[in-house]
Formats: sequence, C-alpha cells, structure tokens
Amino acid sequence: MEGECFTLLPRVCAVLAAGSSLPDDTSLEKLLDWFSELTTAGVSLVKDCPCLLEFTSTVVNSATSDPCILSFTLKLVGLLASSEDGFIVLQESSVLDLVFNPGHWEKAGHWEDPCVRIGWIQGLRSLLQHTKALCFFVQAGLIEPLLQLQTDTSLFVASAASQILAHILIFYQPSPSLTHNSMEKNEAADKSTNPSTTDDGRCPFKAETDQSFTTVVMLISEHLKNSLVSGGDAKLHHAQQSLRLLVLLLTRLRPPLRDSLLHAVTDALEELLMTDLTPPLMDVILAAHSSSSSDVRIHRLVSSLLSTKKPTDLLHAAAAFLRRGLHDDVHTAQCARAILLPLHIVTGQLFLDMDPADEDLCSMAAQLQNKSSCISIICTCLTNSPLITVLDPSFLPCSLDVIISSILLMLRLCSGDTLSVSSGCSGAVRNVIGSSKVKKCALEALMSVSSSPGAKAEVIKVFTLLLKYLDDPDSDPTVFHKSYQVLVRWISVCRDPSSIPDQLKQDLLGVVRKRVCDVRWEVRDSTVEFLGRLAAVKVHHTTDTEAQSACEVLPGGSSSITPVLEEALLDPESYVRASAISALAQTQAPGWQQGAALTQERSEFVVRLLDVLSEDTEGFPRRAVVQYFISWFSSSASRSSLLRRSVRSVLSRGSADLDWEVKVHTLELAKLLLDEALSAHSSSTKELGAQCVHPYAVIPQPVYTPHTHTENGEEDTAALLETLVEEGVVSVLLSGLVDCDRPVALKACRLLIVLREALCPPSHTDLGTDRETVAKVSFLLPKSGWALEIIKILKTKNKAEEENAATLRSSNCIDELKLGEGYNKGWDGVSGAGCERMSVCELLSNLGLDERVKILNQSSDHVQNSPLSLLQDILSAGGAHTQPNTQLMQEVIVDCY
Amino acid sequence: MKLYCLSGHPTLPCNVLKFKSTTIMLDCALDTTSVLNYLPLPLVHSPRLSKLPGWISKDGTINLEKELKECAGRLFVDSQPEFCLPEKELLDLSTIDVILISNYHCMMALPYITEHTGFTGTVYATEPTLQIGRLLMEELVKFMERVPKAQSATCWKNKEIQRMLPGPLKDAVEVWTWKRCYSMQEVNSALSKVQLVGYSQKVELFGAVQISPLSSGYSLGSSNWIIQSHHEKVSYVSGSSLLTTHPQPMDQSSLKNSDVLILTGLTQMPTANPDGMLGEFCSNLAMTIRAGGNVLVPCYSSGVIYDLLECLYQFIDSANLGTTPFYFISPVANSSLEFSQIFAEWLCHNKQTKVYLPEPPFPHAELIQTNKLKHYPSIHGDFSSDFKQPCVVFTGHPSLRFGDVVHFMELWGKSNLNTIIFTEPDFSYLDALAPYQPLAMKCVYCPIDTRLNFHQVSKLLKEVQPLHVVCPDQYTQPPPSQSHRSDLMLELQPPPMPYRRCSVLNLPFRRCYERVYILPELANSLVPSELKPGVSVANVSAILHSKDNKHTLQSVPKAAPAPPSKKRKRVVEEPPVGGAPKPLLSGAVPLEPFLATLQKHGITEVKVEETTDGHILHLQAEDTLIQLEEDGTHIVCDNNEPLRTTIRDLVLRFLQKL
Repeated sequence: MEGECFTLLPRVCAVLAAGSSLPDDTSLEKLLDWFSELTTAGVSLVKDCPCLLEFTSTVVNSATSDPCILSFTLKLVGLLASSEDGFIVLQESSVLDLVFNPGHWEKAGHWEDPCVRIGWIQGLRSLLQHTKALCFFVQAGLIEPLLQLQTDTSLFVASAASQILAHILIFYQPSPSLTHNSMEKNEAADKSTNPSTTDDGRCPFKAETDQSFTTVVMLISEHLKNSLVSGGDAKLHHAQQSLRLLVLLLTRLRPPLRDSLLHAVTDALEELLMTDLTPPLMDVILAAHSSSSSDVRIHRLVSSLLSTKKPTDLLHAAAAFLRRGLHDDVHTAQCARAILLPLHIVTGQLFLDMDPADEDLCSMAAQLQNKSSCISIICTCLTNSPLITVLDPSFLPCSLDVIISSILLMLRLCSGDTLSVSSGCSGAVRNVIGSSKVKKCALEALMSVSSSPGAKAEVIKVFTLLLKYLDDPDSDPTVFHKSYQVLVRWISVCRDPSSIPDQLKQDLLGVVRKRVCDVRWEVRDSTVEFLGRLAAVKVHHTTDTEAQSACEVLPGGSSSITPVLEEALLDPESYVRASAISALAQTQAPGWQQGAALTQERSEFVVRLLDVLSEDTEGFPRRAVVQYFISWFSSSASRSSLLRRSVRSVLSRGSADLDWEVKVHTLELAKLLLDEALSAHSSSTKELGAQCVHPYAVIPQPVYTPHTHTENGEEDTAALLETLVEEGVVSVLLSGLVDCDRPVALKACRLLIVLREALCPPSHTDLGTDRETVAKVSFLLPKSGWALEIIKILKTKNKAEEENAATLRSSNCIDELKLGEGYNKGWDGVSGAGCERMSVCELLSNLGLDERVKILNQSSDHVQNSPLSLLQDILSAGGAHTQPNTQLMQEVIVDCY
Repeated sequence: MKLYCLSGHPTLPCNVLKFKSTTIMLDCALDTTSVLNYLPLPLVHSPRLSKLPGWISKDGTINLEKELKECAGRLFVDSQPEFCLPEKELLDLSTIDVILISNYHCMMALPYITEHTGFTGTVYATEPTLQIGRLLMEELVKFMERVPKAQSATCWKNKEIQRMLPGPLKDAVEVWTWKRCYSMQEVNSALSKVQLVGYSQKVELFGAVQISPLSSGYSLGSSNWIIQSHHEKVSYVSGSSLLTTHPQPMDQSSLKNSDVLILTGLTQMPTANPDGMLGEFCSNLAMTIRAGGNVLVPCYSSGVIYDLLECLYQFIDSANLGTTPFYFISPVANSSLEFSQIFAEWLCHNKQTKVYLPEPPFPHAELIQTNKLKHYPSIHGDFSSDFKQPCVVFTGHPSLRFGDVVHFMELWGKSNLNTIIFTEPDFSYLDALAPYQPLAMKCVYCPIDTRLNFHQVSKLLKEVQPLHVVCPDQYTQPPPSQSHRSDLMLELQPPPMPYRRCSVLNLPFRRCYERVYILPELANSLVPSELKPGVSVANVSAILHSKDNKHTLQSVPKAAPAPPSKKRKRVVEEPPVGGAPKPLLSGAVPLEPFLATLQKHGITEVKVEETTDGHILHLQAEDTLIQLEEDGTHIVCDNNEPLRTTIRDLVLRFLQKL
C-alpha cells in the first residue's frame, strides 16, 4: 500500500500547492502524522519522496498560499530536516533559511496569522533533533523571535514557544557523564569520551554545538530573569509564561545547568514572591526545592512561600509541598499545621497549640465563614490530611489519633451533630452541615487514614459513625457508596471482628437489611456490592486461626447475607440484580474452594441463575451469571455433575445471547474448558495464555486443575476433542467465529486456532494413526443460524480453491462421514437436509482461521483511516474543487459534518 | 393594629387580628397533644389496661385511684381524652367578625369557638378544607363516641393536687381549659357558618378590608391569606409547602410587598427531609414484610396518606410486595379516598391533567381496583373476615389514644417481627407509645412534614420582602435539643416579632392614608391649575360622606333659593355655605428679587439674617420684620397697616394664586 501512496503523493502535493479545498480540516494533520510515522520507521522522505521538496519550495516562494498550507509546509520542512541527511539537502537548496526566517513571512504578511507562527514553532521543534540543527538555529538568530513568541497574544503560540525552549535546553544539555563542572566550563570536557548517544537517547554533545548551546542557555536565562522582574499587568502575563517554562526546566534539567539557571532567577523569584503568589510560582519554588533543597536561598524562598498571609494560598502551598514528597525539618511541620488548621477551627478541637489571636488562625476563621470558600478549604484540608498521617511523628503537631478523631468529628458535624462543638466556629459549622462534598472528602480521608498506625484503636468509633451515616435517610447515594467502601476498609484493618461489640454488628445487619430495600436503586446496589466485598475480605479471629470471610462480622455470618442477596435477585433494577449475582459468587467462593457438598438449595439456585441467563431482559445480570459460572468453574476444587451440566447450559444460552459482552464472557468460560482439556499440553496452554487476553474486560486468570491421563496419547487427544464437542465448546467457538461483533469473532477465532494447533496436527505431518483417530472426531453442524455462515465460508473457500485447481475432492475429511456428495457439489444442496456431520479437524483447517484473525485484528475503521484513503480523499476533494460539480461538493460538505 | 395570640403552638395557630375596624380570627386549631396524658380507649376490652393500678400519693393523703392509672412508670388520666383549647379570656370572642381557615388541620377547634362564645360572624374556608375538615372532625367524634366513658376526671386538675403529681402530668399547662370532644351536632352547626371561597377570590369585609385566600401548597385546599386595605397589606402564611406533592403549588408572588407577614406552621421536623423520610418509610416497611411481620402506620385519614399511598404504589413492585395487602381503616376512609379524587381544581398541575384522561388523579384508585388496597370503616365487620397477615395497616389516630390503632397496638405489640412506623409529626412517638410499654414490636420514626423549613422560608422572605415579620417565639431560637444549630431559626433584619400564648402585639405600622372617592359631577366641577409640570391642584369644597368604611366626597347641595322673608337680610349677612374660599398661595419668595423690589418701593435699609428655615429681613427704618420661611411668610409690623399691606402685596407678587 505504501508504494501506491508514494505514487499518489506527487498529485496530492500538486493539489495542496494549488490551494484546493481539503476534505476536512484534520487532513493536513493526518498527513503530517503519516509522514512522522514514516520518518520514525526509517524512511527517508527527502530521498523517497522528492515531490515533497518541490512542494515546499513552491509553497514557500508563492505569495498567495493559504496560511493553513503554509503552516503545514513549515511543519513538513521541520520534519524533513529532522534527520541530518534531510537537513543537508534542504540547507543546500536554501529552503531552510527561507522557511525559518520570520522576516520572510512578515514581509509576505503571513506572520500575523497565528497558525503560521505555530507552524514555524512546530517546524523548529521537529528540526531541533541534531547538532547541526542547533548550530543553524543559533546562526540564523532564531532564538530572539522565539523568545518573543513566548509572550505571543495567542495562548497556543506562547505555550508552544515555551515548550520548544524547554526542549532545546533539555535535549541539548550535556549528558551527566560529560561534565562535572558548571556549564560555562563545558568546552573543557573531554570530547574523546563522548558516547555516540546519551543513555536516554538524546543528542550527544559535540564541539560545534558547545558554543551554540552556551549562547542559547545564556539568552534564555537572561530572558527568564528579565521577564520575571515585576512591573505592570503586561509583565505579569509574561512572568506567568516564564514561570511555566521554569517549572518544565527545573523538573527535567540535570544539575549543573539547572543550578546555574536557578542561580540566575532566584533574585527575581524572591521579588515576585513579595508581590503575588500564583500557582506557577508555587510550582517553580517547589520544583527548585526538590532539586536543590540544601540551597539556603531556595530554603528561604520556601519559607516565604509558606508564610503567605492568604489562607487559601497557604493551604495549597502546604499541600503541594507535602504532595511532592518534600521533607525538611522546618517546613514539613509548618505544612502539617497549615493543612490541619481548618480542621482545628471547624471542629473546635483546638489540637494545634495556637494562640486564639494568631493572625493565620483569624484570617482562616474569617475565610471559613463564607460558604463557598469554606467548603473548598475544608475539602482541600481533608483531601490532604492523609499525607500528614504518613509523616514521621516528630513532624506532627498533634498525635495521629487526634487527627482521626477530628475527621470523625467533621463527619459528625456534616450530619448536623453539633453538640460537641464550641460556639466560636458556628458560622463555619453551619456551612458544612449537610454538605455531601465535605462528607465524601472526609470519608475518603477516613479511608486513607485506616492504614496509619494507631488506627485500630479507633475502629469502634469509626464503626459507630459509619453506621450512623448508613442509617441516615438524607445521605446522598454517593455518600452511602463511599461509607460502605470505608467500612470494608476498616473491617479489613480491624482484623479481629470479635473486638466489635455485638450490638454494632446487630445494628450493621439491621442497616444492611433496610438499605437493601431502599427506594433508590443506587443505594440498594451499593449495599449488595458491599456484601459481596465483605465476603471477599479475609480477616483473622486470632493469629492462630485460619483467615475467615469478613462477613462474619455480621451476626449469622454469610448465612444471614445469602437470603438478602437472593431477594435482590428479584430487584427491578438490572444493576442491582447483576451486583447480587456477583456478590453471591463472592459469598459462595470459599465453599467452592473447600469443595463443600452440594445442597438442594444450591441446585435450585443454579436453576434460578440459568433462568436469569435465558430470561432477564437486561444485559448486566446475564453477564454476571456467566461470570458467576466462570468463578465457580475456576475456583471449584471438584467438578460436580451439577457444575458440568450447568456449564453446558451456560455455553449454549450464552452463545445465543444478543449482548456481545455476554458472548465474550461465554467464550471466556469456553476457554476455561479448553484450558482444562488442554492442560496436559503444556505448550499449548502457554500459548493460549499469551494470546487470548480479553480485549475489553479484566477476566481472572484461569486456575488450572490437575488433569490426569490414563490413556495413551493419540486416543487421549481424540477423547479430549470428543469431550470438547460434547460439552458444546466447539459449537460455541464456531458460532462466535461468525458473530457480527468483532471482539466476539476475534476471541473465538483465536481460541479456534489454539484448538487447531493443539489437537489437529497439520495434514502434511505424518503422525499415522494418531491423525486419523483425531480426524475421525466429528461434529454435527446444524443447517441453520450461525452454521449457515460457517458453511458459506467453507463454500467460498472451496470455490476459490477449485479455481486454483486444488480441489477439495482429494480431501479425506468427508469420505467416511457421509458428507461427500454435498461437499463435492460445492455446498449447493445445504438447504435441504437437517444437519451435517463433519470432521472437526478438517473444519478447523478449512475455515481459513489465520487469514481471518488478521482481518479481525484490524479495527473496523482501518480502511477509512489508512494513508491511502487520506490521499484519495485529498485528491477527490481537490478534483471537486478544480472541476466544480455542485453535487459532489455538497456530498463532501455533508461528509465533513 | 393588634394581634392577639390565643395559641402558643407554632403549627396549631389561633390568632386574632384587629385591623381597621375588623376583628379577624386567623385559624382555630386544636392542640390535641394533651390526649397523650390519657389512657388509650380500647375498642375491645383490654385486660391489661383494666388492671392498671390507680395512683395514691406516697403519704396516702391523696387518693386518685379512679382518675389516674400507672402504666410503665408513668401516670395516665383514665377518662375520656380532653383537648387544649385556644385561649378564651384574652378578648371577647363574640366580637370576632370572621374566621379565616388555612387548612383542615387548623380548624379542629371551630365548634368550641363558634358554638359557645356568642360568635355571630362568618367562617371562610376553601371547599376541600371544609369537606376534609368535616371528615376529620367526624372521625374524631366517632372515635370518642364509639368508646364512651362516663367518667370525667377533674380532681387531678386541682392546682394543689397537680403540683404533687409526677411529670409530665405535673407540668401540663392550662389544664382547666382542657375540654372533652364536641358532638356531631356542634360540628354541623359550626360548619354551617362556613362560607366557601376559591383561590384568589376577593371578599370584602364591611368595606374596610379585603381578604383573599392563596394556594399554600401544603394540603388539598390549603391557603395562605391576604388581608388588605387600600394602603396596607397583611399576609398570613400558615402551613405552606414548596415541595411537589399532590396539592396546587404555593402562590408566592401574591405575598410580595406586605407590611406585615404573620408566619406560622413551619415544619416541625426541620432536620428530617420529607424525601429521605419517605424512603425510610418504604425501606422499613419492605424489610418488615420480607421478614414476615406486619406494619402499622398510625396516621390521619387525609393528607400525607395520599402521598404515602402514591409512593407505595411505585415501590410495591420494586420491593416485591405485590401480594401484601394494604388496609386503610377509618370511619371516613372511603370518603377521604374518594374526595381526594374529585377536588381536581385544587390539585397540582400533573394531577389536574389526569382529570381529562380516563384515569384518576391519585394512583390509590388503581390500588383499590386491583385489591391491593382495601379500606374499612372499622376493624369490626368485613375487615375481620378479609384480614390476612403479613399486612400493612394505615389507621388513626396518630396519638395512639383512640381509634382502631389502639387495637392493633394491643394485637401486634408483643411480637418483634412487627413494626410501627410513625409518619405524622404532631406527636412525640415516645410519649405516644408510653402506655403500651413494654413493647416488643419495632418502632420507626419517619416524620413526614412537608411544610416550609428554615432554609426555604428564609429564601421566601428574601423574595417577598415583608416590612415586618411576626412569628411564634419558637422560630426565633434554635430548637432546645439542638441549641448549636443556628441554621434552624429565623434570622431576619429587622428581627421578627415573636409571640407566645396570650401575647398581645401592637403591630408596628401606622395607617397614613385612607382612600376617599369623589363623585363624577363634583370632579367635573374642579378647575385644576398646574403647580409644576405633572402636578395640578384644585380646591374642593364638598361634603364627606362615610358609610361602610367607604368615604365619598359629594357636591355641596346648592342652597335652595330662600323664600323671600323678613329674615332675608340676615341670611345675606351670614357667610354663604360653600362660598368661594380665599385663593391658596404657592411658590417661594426669592430673596434677591424681593430685596430689589423693596428697594424700588423705598425700603432700603434691610438687614438680612439667615435662619435654619429661611431668612429674616429686618427693615430697620420701619422697625418691621419679614420672616421668609419655606412654608410661611410673616410680616411683623406694629401699628403701620399701610406698610404691612404694601409689603403683603409685594410678597404676593412673587406667589402663584390658585
């Protein structure tokens, strides 16, 4: 296809150069993407597509070009010159000087257009990939216009300019092995030891670049320094841009260069900090701190940052400091205090040792009186409070349990329980009462602190509070959901359910029973999901005993849960039914693993599930049923007849489902059966594991159960295949193969290939009787539904092969299977009879699975997205433009929208 | 303007407004919480209740064995329950001109007011209020009459004795005003005085004020009232709701620009959100039924029950309760369910549109059709043969002191499978349950009060902006049990005027204007002259005629030509009645031109002194003062009449004559 594209390219270039209309505004970007891909793949565009060179010189010299085409050309030139060869060619043809000369575009009046400017920048960005480019960049004096563009009126241009400035410094910075001294001494570095590339694949430092790079660094540092000096609003915008650039640089530059840059701007930063604290400035200071924490000046900057008088800024700065994992003796403790201050004020716990007249405290208290700022401050405080709990205790302004109890108190305040609060902060308390946002943040914080040391001591308090939340009818469904999550986490922390008072356990059961009857389906769903999670969490009563499911925290254990979940199977909301099925699988999993005996109730329950699979009108419960059987099959210690029977039903019902996900899940179950059957063939299972990863859903990896073989090899293989046919695995895979949903067909196809490779040896290998025995294993192909599609495939393939004079008559697949006549007739008589019996192996080898998997692997829009299609579109749009045909034009327009 | 507060209960108001020359009673609700001090009235003989020990004081001096019984550590009066009436001594209730009823819960004391106080006025209410109010009264009377008690306990009310009783009887207030229930005859007589009104209908009261009911969104036919004269407007907001339930939504805009807004009937459960409570009600109900228990819902026979049934209608299927029978037992159950369906014009928009479809506005009709909901007048009769368990029973009275609910409490109280769900907020559920203790059945408190909460009312008041707000004392501070919840009170600027039982408030505004009509022929005779652009004035000579609080200016009848007589001369000497008055002057005397004019007339020695109101001109030579002020000019000139006249004429030159 590539060749075909290259043939079309000259015409496309002509169309573009002529300024014809394009199919849509993304065409040029797509074209560039294709060129980039080719360049990355090692194609030399300059050599292989000379038309591009012509195109660039035509456009550059034309005065009337469309700005979009100009922008495209600028980017293209950069791309072409990104390799040294291309660069030389372009420089020789003097295109490069012209293209990257801003003066040329200004003269032509195109520089006003931001898309030309951005094309210029991006072209440069592509270009600056090798040392020659840097020399060119410096010699052509491009740094000045680039620095100017950093404050461009177009935000996109300004941002792109910052990006490229960062790129230059980062890309061309000396590799760590080259220099140990300051940047100014680079020229003294021993060039003979230069590696051809640095360890991170960047450009090695070469002599001719040294000077250029030093110049660039000097200019950029100077520029940054000047732009940061405060002065007026216009300057402020400039400073913001430079700060953003500094953040980029400080996080990615290596020591000598970074230090010198930092040295250059520290004074300006100090001055800036005096005027106003902005998020980029905060980022710069923190980035500086993380790279040079020992620098006294940086230390001083951080101190000033953390002594800002604006409460919200202080909170954000402290949070950012801790979030970056920065620690030092002075600032960490300061940050912890700043973050906990709102909690201190609102809860009235007064756990921070502070004077009530403290300035910070008063200004924060004033901010908390305002509803909107109060909610946002409290949420920031709560979201970041877990950061404090992991700090070294010496940094903490109070003990951990105080923080946990403050979070608990905050949750109590949110639900309107204000009795324990001093009257001083009633304004703030009033703001948080009933706020779901604060509730969720506090619950999240409570979840995070569950793993902190000392959390265990608070378990009872947390339980009591969460139960209150779960009992509160006014709670938002999302708050319920979060409360359940927190509860599960704390139950797993508690480890010893016997330490929870019986009354609390009883209350929890009561709440769960009530919530499963809630009017809101979201709450019912969360409750059912909670029960499933509870069953999955393992806890120990004591260190000696075996781990138990956490549902033992409920009086009656899992036996009290099961009826609740079974009731939920009748829920009118499909999500709840699906959750109930999953939760039941989780509660029953321990029994499966221990090989518990089947009870009458279990058999009846399985029948109910099968009914859900065939009768439920919604997809989610049906998917959950198949998942249930997958879990049962994969975790079961023994293969009961009920399991075998039901799996067969699931396969037949699931493969006939209308929901493609149910079908994919069914194929997953078929794969488990296949795995089990093939477990003796270790090589094939390995392959299976590698190939058949479900493309959309996370499916637990199969647990292989030991499979004993008593028979000899060949009979065993035939018997295995026979079993797979009987269990319906083969028909599920075949029906999946012709499914109209690509993921289903792809998965089925891959599994069929695995089956074919494992059990049906190729006909040319001489395996004697083994092959014959296996080949005799037959399959009854119905002449209806999906089977007709299979027959059609066989027929098409047969015809094609007949045309190639390779008749299938010679095939022995049908000789003994009474299929001969119909097959020889080219499958014309298929509609008459009921079923056809045929050899599985022959079927597998005749379906053309390998070609099919290739086709299926391609996304459904691969044709439309191909470069060829793009080029054709550009040509046809150009043609429509040159030969006006209103109808065609209309179609194109319609197509665009 | 005065407000007499006859009830201190914030949701059971009874106030009297004296406005202009009218005396208007605003609601006459009955405080039934007093019945909680009484023993329940069982429909069938209850051995448990009959065996309760009587009370004798510790020292044995007071023996009230027959009147007071002890049950689960509390004392109850063994007598027919009595209600706490509105205050009757504060003002003469016979002077009341009209009674305005806001909703059917606020009219239960009507017979006590209209029948025994000499009341001769009219009661105004909407039709659903009247009809459903009648049902509730009828139900109350039937509940009482079904279980007659000859005995009437009065000894315990003796102040000396009451003081020695244990709480809460000891703390009961106004016990001497407590009265037994009225009879059906009194109900009929009281209701015969009701005049029906529709929303926004304007009714004139003696020409002095106009009253008009507005939809309040709380219950079928519930209203707020506007009482206005030409220049004053008083709004009475009682039991309003902004939630979308069955009644017509609240009319807020008509409340704008009130001089005084009397605010009563806010939610009794400010922390219980009705939606949450409704959800809680459903989940507890489903949980009990699933566990094989019965659910008892003590409720009024109208109001929230419609919403409960509607909610259950949607919930039944989702909770798999399709086979569970729902019973509604009340002497007026049938009428209540049917009435609700016919008051189409009083329903919310959604339900109104259903009236034009072949389906009833409320879905309880479908529940009845499909036999999921059955209603009975009492537990006797058909109900006992249809009764199947587990089931859900809705029945009254929410106080658990009378009505069929008493029977179910005795029947189901012993099993912990059963649940009683309280939805009415009027009674403390713990007090209601007190005489049934010890109780095994589960109790759930889901008070559903759809009336305005503090957040909603603050928003409403911000929008309608009344000059003054009058409200019960309880709304001006947080609830005693949650003293830190400053969000659960009214915070207004200027602060609201609080009232409590027996308060008499002087409402803080004075009437400044009165409308006076002018007859066309008189108006026609006027000759207005323009004072300044847009303002014209004219002299009117007329006779002011006042009747029915309407004031009219009529032309002065022309004196009949007097017959010639000897007294003719005397008649002529008398100033003619209605003779042309002296012209009125307007305008101001400008200082400088006036000084110039004076100079022209030879008055030169003028000393001008500036005062707060104008100027004083001292004519030194003439020893005369001219005081030029904003609203008057005085010439002080002794014994020089010609000079005074000259100066007067000079002053008049600058003024306009009308």
